[in-house]
Amino acid sequence: MIASAYAATAEHAAAGSGMPQFEPSVFQHQIVWSIASFFVLLYLLKKYVLPPIEKILDERGGKIRSDLEAAEKSRQEADKIRQDVQRQLAAARRLADQTVEEARLEAAKYRDLARESLTQELAKKKSVALAEIDAAKRAAVAELHDAVVDIAMLATEKLIAKSMNKNDVNKVVQEAVAAIQANPGKLQ
Amino acid sequence: MTATAPVVAAAAPKMDPLHHFHVTKYLDFDYLGIDVAISNSVLWMWIAAGLVLLFFHLAFKNPRIVPGRLQSLGEAGYLFIRGIVDDIVGEKGRPFFPYIFTLFFFILFCNLAGLIPGSFTVTSQLIVTATFSLMIVGFSFVYGFYMHGTHYFKFFVPSGVPVLLMPLMIPIEIISFLARPVSLAVRLFANMTAGHTMLAVMFLYVVTLPWWGAWLPFGFTVIFTGVEIFIGFIQAYIFTILTCVYINDSIHMH
Repeated sequence: MIASAYAATAEHAAAGSGMPQFEPSVFQHQIVWSIASFFVLLYLLKKYVLPPIEKILDERGGKIRSDLEAAEKSRQEADKIRQDVQRQLAAARRLADQTVEEARLEAAKYRDLARESLTQELAKKKSVALAEIDAAKRAAVAELHDAVVDIAMLATEKLIAKSMNKNDVNKVVQEAVAAIQANPGKLQ
Repeated sequence: MTATAPVVAAAAPKMDPLHHFHVTKYLDFDYLGIDVAISNSVLWMWIAAGLVLLFFHLAFKNPRIVPGRLQSLGEAGYLFIRGIVDDIVGEKGRPFFPYIFTLFFFILFCNLAGLIPGSFTVTSQLIVTATFSLMIVGFSFVYGFYMHGTHYFKFFVPSGVPVLLMPLMIPIEIISFLARPVSLAVRLFANMTAGHTMLAVMFLYVVTLPWWGAWLPFGFTVIFTGVEIFIGFIQAYIFTILTCVYINDSIHMH
């Protein structure tokens, strides 16, 4: 079936001029129209198609260039701002350090001052207390002296008022001696 | 089986795998003795050119800095050709850019439009590809003379070759120069013709084989159509690249 179909095809081809492309009668108009079509298409493309393409490509190129420039400018500005901020930060840190240092020095000054005044106060209080103790001691000694005089006067009165025998004198002397021995400081 | 054979054989003339390369004149015109008929070939040239314009019109109807999909594709096409021209020809190739741009997209859309079922593949016509290749090589030859004067003849004298070999080398150089338009034209024509013939043959298998056998050639046509799209691109690319090479030769010699 297929073989006979192709045999017929071959016969048909042999009867014709072989490949249709080699049929000279169709050459001339194709040459003319190929050239004409090409140049008409060239004209239309050159006039209506290429300019908008080139325009948009140039526009895009310009936009990319200006965007890049703007980006570079922003980057430089950001750099500058960053440097400024760093500088300010450093200044602030320096200021803070200085303030802390000053505060420490002041605090130390106040501490020394307070310690000195306290020492003076204590010394003053101590001297006052010592003076008071001294005064009290003197008063006590004076009082004791008065008391001893009174006792001596009382004893003397009693001796004088009473008719004394030998035993009585002895007794009194012994009492006096005992008193002196018991408290030897009293007569000073 | 034998009963169906005459039926198939009767249909056979319509099953010519070269049938879709036939140029059919729709309107016969003559202008000053020159044949300017409108044929299916001419019609599809115009359709291809119209598709190029439509594509770029849609892509750049409302051009934006941040492109959409179609605009990106259009820009990619533009930059692709721009890259080829800049890489191969360089700064002096700028004036030729619109020509090369047009050539690439015209050929590309002719190649791709030929894949539409029922369409006509303009680039499968040797006379069309030959017209373009002769225009290109002829232009590069004339431009070479325009740029370098008679100095351009040195183009056919390879440098660094002993004088004794010159009688051999100069004819070889001339032949290789003359082979340029031939190879350029035949490469595109043969690729398009071969691919479409292959597809046509496979489709004939599909319609003549019973259903249990038809899926194999049908599957092949599906895959091969994809390959043909790729070939359409590649051939347009090669044609463009070689055009740039020839123009570069006429500008910079070698």
